[in-house]
Amino acid sequence: MKIASKGLLTLCFGALCCLAPLSFAQTPAATPTAAPKAITDADLAGAPVPSADARSKGDPDGALTGTASDIAVTDAKKGATIGDLANQVGQNKIAINFVWTLVTGFLVMFMQAGFAIVETGLCRAKNANHTMMMNFMVYGVGMLAYWLIGFAIQMGGVGAVANLGGTPPLSAEHVITVFGKPFGIFGQNGLFLVHRGTYDVGVMVLFLFQMVFMDTALTIVTGAAAERWKYAAFVISSFLMGAFTYPLFANWAWGGGWLASLGTNFNLGKGYCDFAGSGVVHAVGGITALAVSMMLGPRIGKYERSGKSNAILAHDIVIVLTGCFILAFGWFGFNPGSTLGASGNGNLRIGSIAVNTMLAGMAGSFGAMLYMWMRYGKPDASMSGNGLLAGLVAITAPSGFVNPVGAVIIGTIAGVLVCISVEFIDRVMHVDDPVGAISVHGTNGLWGVLSIGLFADGKSNYGGSWNGVTGSVTGLFYGDNGGQLVAQLIGIVTLVGFVFTLSFVFNLLIDWALGQRVGAKSELEGLDLPEMGALGYPEFELKAEM
Amino acid sequence: MMILVGILITLSGFVISVLSLGLSSNGARLAVVVLGLAVSLFGIMGVLNRAYLKNAIWKKG
Repeated sequence: MKIASKGLLTLCFGALCCLAPLSFAQTPAATPTAAPKAITDADLAGAPVPSADARSKGDPDGALTGTASDIAVTDAKKGATIGDLANQVGQNKIAINFVWTLVTGFLVMFMQAGFAIVETGLCRAKNANHTMMMNFMVYGVGMLAYWLIGFAIQMGGVGAVANLGGTPPLSAEHVITVFGKPFGIFGQNGLFLVHRGTYDVGVMVLFLFQMVFMDTALTIVTGAAAERWKYAAFVISSFLMGAFTYPLFANWAWGGGWLASLGTNFNLGKGYCDFAGSGVVHAVGGITALAVSMMLGPRIGKYERSGKSNAILAHDIVIVLTGCFILAFGWFGFNPGSTLGASGNGNLRIGSIAVNTMLAGMAGSFGAMLYMWMRYGKPDASMSGNGLLAGLVAITAPSGFVNPVGAVIIGTIAGVLVCISVEFIDRVMHVDDPVGAISVHGTNGLWGVLSIGLFADGKSNYGGSWNGVTGSVTGLFYGDNGGQLVAQLIGIVTLVGFVFTLSFVFNLLIDWALGQRVGAKSELEGLDLPEMGALGYPEFELKAEM
Repeated sequence: MMILVGILITLSGFVISVLSLGLSSNGARLAVVVLGLAVSLFGIMGVLNRAYLKNAIWKKG
């Protein structure tokens, strides 16, 4: 044993000796300084380009493709000029940002698949078709509503989005005056994506990215209301949320509305900050989920007459955890993509944002697993999955403003918080949430919003300002005077007091007009046949509850 | 009736927090915003939820 460890030590020492010169070799050599020389059109004309003959032989190593000859010139006789070069650089920057925003948007779109199987797996097999169909169709219903009116309300007055080339057509915000200050209330341009010049390449990229965010919020509600929600009521409720509820709050936070202006108007830090949507997306979804599930009431058999809560088990934990992984993968689009670009304006923080995202998710799953293990003696699988999601939800708002240590603290708290919140909502409020959506997205969405006011480290620099206020977003623990925390809290009360009320009233109207809940017979039988006309698993033998 | 009262109380919490913007000190604003949050939470949990629980399906046996 001693000989083995001596040998290991010798090996390590030898390896270090070999690596030492390498580390010296990485030290940059001193370079002679020379005065910078201005480039002229003549320099460009002399730039080496591959001959037609060389190109005709193919380019297996890629050395001849993408050279000065690919720069678009305005006058072929004159050749490339400094102006052409500058235009090409500008277009390349915007192209990088377009591709980044689109690809990250595609990742977020794929999260719909994760939500669908997480929610379906956590429900009973007799409701599989119904739960999947809600998750499937919420994509189309939400998109239709958002295309018709939601996008215009949210982004119609956002003004210049520099990373996407300016988006000048999105320039009309309806403003009222409160305490002598302008309060942006809703956007006015962009109906159907053609209204007032919004048929524009930058606007299209922004629409796609914002649309998939909106759909994420909508699909949260279907989980909390699963196994008892009338399908027709779901369609109308989702349409109203995609058309009005979500876009209104999103305008206030991201579209140039009054919450974002709390910094410029009332000297509250950098105004309400929500980098990627803990509040805008997750809390709006979670709070609407609370309103709907409160109205629907619990599933039959969930509570005994004494008020004791019964666990209704998930039918497929394998797809639940697979879905959690799909969501964690999609979150790499959600948070880093919210820079709306990879080039310029401090966008290289995308690496830090991605790492914060993965760290908080990890910390959340650990927090939940350890909490459940200590409290109930077993590391609960579904709550570990919810812990991962809770960590991701909580880091969504602060991901662009905190350091990795902050991300781990925020994620760990989220993992524990989701377990406590699930117990509170289930046992104290007696609100039935089959998938824990209210706790994962609502409670932790609010925690994420609050955490910016505490943990933002003042190191981010997205073009030197945020929400029109010079400097970096800074929280209480990093020297802020509390203004940022107050701005975040005003956002939280807006979510709890206003968004809840709006969602509740919309759904109350649907309840009066149509009824929100299926009949007891359908619920006991399972919703697949009565609501959808086909079973999710026709070859399974399903037992109706008595 | 209880539902209408619950809606009004929940919304009034939001109104209180907006009114905090009329104050000048951050400490005072913080106190008023927290009050607004408490009012909204009371509206949701103390009034609206209680109204629904009164006729809850599981209480009927």
